[in-house]
Amino acid sequence: MKFSYTWLRELVPGLKMDVTTLAQQITMKTAECEGVHDPGAFPGASVAAVAHAENSDPDSIIEIDNKSLTNRPDLWGHLGMAREVAAIAGLSVADPVGDLYPFTPKAGANGAPLPRATSKGDLSITIGDASLCARFSGQRVENVKVAPSPLWMQYRLNSLGVNPINNLVDVTNYVLCELGQPMHAYDADLLGDTIVVRAARKGEPILALNGEKYSLGPEDIVIADAEKPVGIAGIIGGNDTAIRATTRRIVLEAASFPAANVRKSSSRLKLRTDASMRFEKGQDPENTVRALARAVELLKQISPGSQAAQPIDVYARKSAPPKIQLDIDWAERKLGRKLSTEEVINIFRSLVFGVEQLNGRKLLLTVPSWRATKDISIPEDLVEEIGRMVGYASIVPQAPAVLAAPTARNLEHEQHRAVRDALTGQGFTEVSNYSFISDADAAMFGYAPEKLLQVANPIIAEQKYMRPTLLPGIRRNLADNSRFFSDFRLFEIGREYCKGKDGAPVERTHLAAAIYGRETNGANLLEMKRVAQYLALDCKVVPAKAHGKTMHPERSAHVEIAGQQVGNLYELHPSLLDRGRAAILQLDLDALQALPAQRQAYRPLRRFPSSSFDLSIVAGSHELVGNLETRLRQLAGEGLIGLQFLLIFPLPPDKKSVSFRLTLGADDRTMTADEVTHTRERVVEGIKSAGYELRE
Amino acid sequence: MATLQVDPIPRALYSLGLLIRELEIPLTNPIQTIKDLTQSALGNINAAASLADLEKVRVAVLGRKGELAGISKTFGAMAPEDRAKAGQLLNEAKATLEKSFEDRKASLEGSESDQRFKAEWIDLTVPPQGIAPGHIHPVTQVQDEIEQLFISMGFRVLDGPEVETDYYNFDALNIPSDHPARDMQDTFWMTDGHLLRTHTSPVQVRALQKYGAPMRMIAPGRVFRNEEVDASHEHTFYQVEGMMVDRDVSVSHLIYFMQTLLSSVFGRKVTVRLRPGYFPFVEPGFELDIQCLICGGNGCAVCKQSGWVELLPCGLVHPNVIANCGLDPQEWNGFAFGLGLTRLAMMRYAIDDIRLLQSGDLRFLNQF
Ligand SMILES: [Zn+2]
Repeated sequence: MKFSYTWLRELVPGLKMDVTTLAQQITMKTAECEGVHDPGAFPGASVAAVAHAENSDPDSIIEIDNKSLTNRPDLWGHLGMAREVAAIAGLSVADPVGDLYPFTPKAGANGAPLPRATSKGDLSITIGDASLCARFSGQRVENVKVAPSPLWMQYRLNSLGVNPINNLVDVTNYVLCELGQPMHAYDADLLGDTIVVRAARKGEPILALNGEKYSLGPEDIVIADAEKPVGIAGIIGGNDTAIRATTRRIVLEAASFPAANVRKSSSRLKLRTDASMRFEKGQDPENTVRALARAVELLKQISPGSQAAQPIDVYARKSAPPKIQLDIDWAERKLGRKLSTEEVINIFRSLVFGVEQLNGRKLLLTVPSWRATKDISIPEDLVEEIGRMVGYASIVPQAPAVLAAPTARNLEHEQHRAVRDALTGQGFTEVSNYSFISDADAAMFGYAPEKLLQVANPIIAEQKYMRPTLLPGIRRNLADNSRFFSDFRLFEIGREYCKGKDGAPVERTHLAAAIYGRETNGANLLEMKRVAQYLALDCKVVPAKAHGKTMHPERSAHVEIAGQQVGNLYELHPSLLDRGRAAILQLDLDALQALPAQRQAYRPLRRFPSSSFDLSIVAGSHELVGNLETRLRQLAGEGLIGLQFLLIFPLPPDKKSVSFRLTLGADDRTMTADEVTHTRERVVEGIKSAGYELRE
Repeated sequence: MATLQVDPIPRALYSLGLLIRELEIPLTNPIQTIKDLTQSALGNINAAASLADLEKVRVAVLGRKGELAGISKTFGAMAPEDRAKAGQLLNEAKATLEKSFEDRKASLEGSESDQRFKAEWIDLTVPPQGIAPGHIHPVTQVQDEIEQLFISMGFRVLDGPEVETDYYNFDALNIPSDHPARDMQDTFWMTDGHLLRTHTSPVQVRALQKYGAPMRMIAPGRVFRNEEVDASHEHTFYQVEGMMVDRDVSVSHLIYFMQTLLSSVFGRKVTVRLRPGYFPFVEPGFELDIQCLICGGNGCAVCKQSGWVELLPCGLVHPNVIANCGLDPQEWNGFAFGLGLTRLAMMRYAIDDIRLLQSGDLRFLNQF
């Protein structure tokens, strides 16, 4: 939003602040100023000529961030900003409407029923439903002549980014820039005698001023003549009734439409205009008749001979000005700063609030109509008015007096941190991937799309689903990085998303770690098993059937703790990588977190000597070492206090030799040589009778 | 200042000479022999180049069949009083030589182990074998640091769902469906009506509903905005929401916490300022700026010559939000703020392309 420094100075007589200081003051007290710059080039006249016409120095434009004006509908016109500037500088505003129209019209005050329709002469205005339009003020002006605006008006509009069109249209835009009230001028002869504000009918068409055709519906509000829409309320006028070179009589419109409806229509029609931007913030209905008065006044100047009829004002829904009680002691506690009663009263007077002192430190404040639509409704809003006007820099930082108590820990984050530290210690680098996957990802990893959480409004195909697994991202990382590195390790800790039993979204935090090797013989998979046991000391790796599309069919296992599966250890299916192989470890960190803490009691140190012997068992090359271990444990029985795997020695073509060291002992005595021999014989016998050979 | 060189052998000679003078006896043959023998033995001990040579000298002089033992056999011919004196002299000589021998032995042993150590020399500039440590993602590092900081100030760290309801993301935060603030946030919607949280603020509400007040908490995490990705825009980024709810929490407390915490984050004293800002879930709402750390407030390109850098939105929690959390806004109030972790990481490491953070590119990530 652009503000003219010259215009603000006109509205605040006596303002001495230079434009830079003013911009800075506005930033600190009102809204964020994004910069000060010269008015843009003005086609058709030199700056000097304009300055001469303006009878002033060349202007400066203060640019305010629109976002910081979201809650301040009153600041979408120069008068509103002038009120702020006056309050900041301790000056008064020169209201350009002045006495042309009473501040609050008498009609409808004191609870008298409000008219829904009014007609004067041969023009009638009807608001069908008060919820669609709080107020509609119209005024016919006869004997106008379409011509270019005077240079000063063109220059001023151009500086603010508004294209000058002709004197009649320019007047409505000028009033918009000055008072913030959107207006519209109709060709009265084309419009006819009837104005109706109503909901559009389904599919009702309109050709708008911008040359576009729009198809409207019951959720849109229109201004219509007896038959058809002549404008989309609060957004844009219709082409059929627009001002043209031949226009002799006009009808001026200044109305108030509900913010939410305008916002919805504007966003549905993808049509944002200077009018819609203001209406969707919530415009002050008190402003309509003031805008008419100001426009008529300007028309007298720039279209001499024009004659205005009496305004017709339908005020369908009027709210009483809000009154809010303020306890200054309470405001002091909110700000953490002492406030004198006088200081507070002066601030609200400067902001044109009605101020009534109830008793000592309590005030009853009447909110000005232009601040009452969205902006100020509760005492907290008044605290902001005080705070920004005294200046937040006047508040001294202070530590609060709070109860000292231990902070509750976040065990999940502690777990994530421990896993991260462990993995980086083992050479893994942390990556972060998007939460989204594409159709291709879902297909690659064998997920049925209907089982996934789907994004309704993705910008690109890669954002279509929420990832049910971290793998697609990890796979991409492996492929990407394999172009630069022959061996690397990486991991991600992140959320996986799926539909729960009741269809509601479920998020679980998982770990996915990968060891990539361009040349590999499977050793990385055992290395990953070591990493798994490093992360979770008591985990078991249990060979399991591979998940078809993701895992190497002969190289996959479950990771289990206390009999519960908490993850998978496997080689990524070789078809998923163009080159190289990757060992993958996936752990459900939430499941790990939920497991009961494994806390074992201490075992007394062994007091009696133990004895050991080694065995080398010849088995089929696919025999599981884990199975041999189990068998040895069973055969050796209670006396076995240690079983150590030593090595595997391949015996081609289809056998291998697996060596173990068995250690025997007893808690309460030294085992006799006989006992040891006996146990050894039992184990050897058992192994042989199970069909294995022994190597000496 | 010169250092006194203490050598065992001259000292031994000196003490022996002293001994001889003190005895005041005529230098009979055995005594002269002892003296000569001692002197030559001391020379031999000193000259021994190895432990083996030294041992030969020891055996020849001090051994059971050595020269000193041989002299003692000649004492039988001496007068008893001379014999006693010679015996004493012999014992003294023996002690002197043994001492000298031990000293020389220690010296030789030292130089031999020196030799052995020299042979064991290792070049410590050789790069080590094995796996080099990995790296933690820069945003995680910043997040961890912020978490530790807030924990130290008595804040608890809380999480919330990333797939949220519009109630928690908007309505509970005083952003009703027709509110223009919803235009500011381009939201990812799920086909089932859920949305991806556009900020971590919903955790405020969930926290107060679950744990009540007083409450000091932060909620770090991943948030989403539906926008096209380029060097400075991402649809996925990280922020941390913070909130303190208690009795009579004031703007001065908010400034205190922000100043303290930001000074710690940036590792030096930070000056902050508040100016009006509009966020529906706070009232009053502020934009918090910090004095430019590059130019110290004098104006530079980073701060666009203003001396200030906009850092975070904050404010006093809106009473509607407090009420939506099931608390009485007459009794409880508080402050809240939101800090962009992604932005902080980018500031800290001067990262100029936001896309690198989600790229998984180890050439980038291995730098942290
Ligand atoms: Zn600077």
